Amino acid sequence: MSHTGENAIHVTGPKTYGAVLAALLVLTVITVLASYVDFGSLNTVVALIIASIKGSLVALFFMHLRHDKFNAVIFVGGLLFLAVFLIWTLFDISTRTTVLPTNLKAPIQAFPGAPLNKPVRPSTGQPLGTVQP
Amino acid sequence: MSTVTSSVPAEHEHPKFLQHHFREMSQQFDASKIGMWLFLVTEVLLFGGLFVGYGIMHAKHPEAFMAAHHHLDKVMGALNTIVLLFSSFTMVMSVWAAQTNRRKLTILFLVITLLCACTFMVVKYFEYSHKFHDGLLPGKYYTHKGDTVPGQFMFFSFYFMMTGLHGIHVLLGMGAIIWVLARTIRGDFSSDYYAPVDITGLYWHLVDLIWIYLFPLMYLIS
Repeated sequence: MSHTGENAIHVTGPKTYGAVLAALLVLTVITVLASYVDFGSLNTVVALIIASIKGSLVALFFMHLRHDKFNAVIFVGGLLFLAVFLIWTLFDISTRTTVLPTNLKAPIQAFPGAPLNKPVRPSTGQPLGTVQP
Repeated sequence: MSTVTSSVPAEHEHPKFLQHHFREMSQQFDASKIGMWLFLVTEVLLFGGLFVGYGIMHAKHPEAFMAAHHHLDKVMGALNTIVLLFSSFTMVMSVWAAQTNRRKLTILFLVITLLCACTFMVVKYFEYSHKFHDGLLPGKYYTHKGDTVPGQFMFFSFYFMMTGLHGIHVLLGMGAIIWVLARTIRGDFSSDYYAPVDITGLYWHLVDLIWIYLFPLMYLIS
């Protein structure tokens, strides 16, 4: 942990911060202009890529992650879990057509066979004490 | 006996703001920074749930989201984006000023950051009151008349939840900045000790970071 003590030594100057602000404002203009261009299904992707470039600038320069590898690992680790959450959920949403099988006429009210709150004979699936046929 | 007498002055020579369970200032600074970053990760995941919900509903009802977002004012959204980006810049400048022992500049930049935050909330107030007036509200409170595309209330459920939670974060950030400002005026901070300025800055930048994603997702759907 002692190496992160160097954070205190790294002092980034106003010139760098000003340049980053200018870049962020230019990217804001670009993202507004890009919303008027039709990229088809990639519209949201383009907007998110520009947002991620802006976010990276904020995190690297304003939040000093450039000189702060330890905390960068913490932050990027959190983002990875967010990515798993988002991407896996969208896989599910985009690959299923209907939530309920269409051949079902009505929702099943009770599971056929043994009642679930009673002990079951494993061989037959019927409640214990049932007369064997 | 000699050890006792020598330890007494040593105990009073330690830096004013060094807490007793830390060995030195840099250790204390690192520890508080790690704590803040872990908190920021929980914040990312808190908003992440809302972003995922937004992604699901947007994917399932693209027409409703497309139609609903026309009720938002792009100009106001872009204005708020610029205000928040600029406030992030002034916040990081106040951290720099504190790092380099410029107390008056620290105060100046913190006040500008605070004014930007107020501007953001005022613009937000005008946007919200316009939507309240038009009945563009979440869920069953949606009373807007004359829609051609059904299901637009869903967009406003996400709009109010996400921008509302973000707005609460702006208000909390303003509280933290006021606290840092008061301590700066009192003269607590110097190049040896500026952790609260830095930590508050991290929080403020995260609020900015979340808005960077909210702006295109809410205002610029195409």
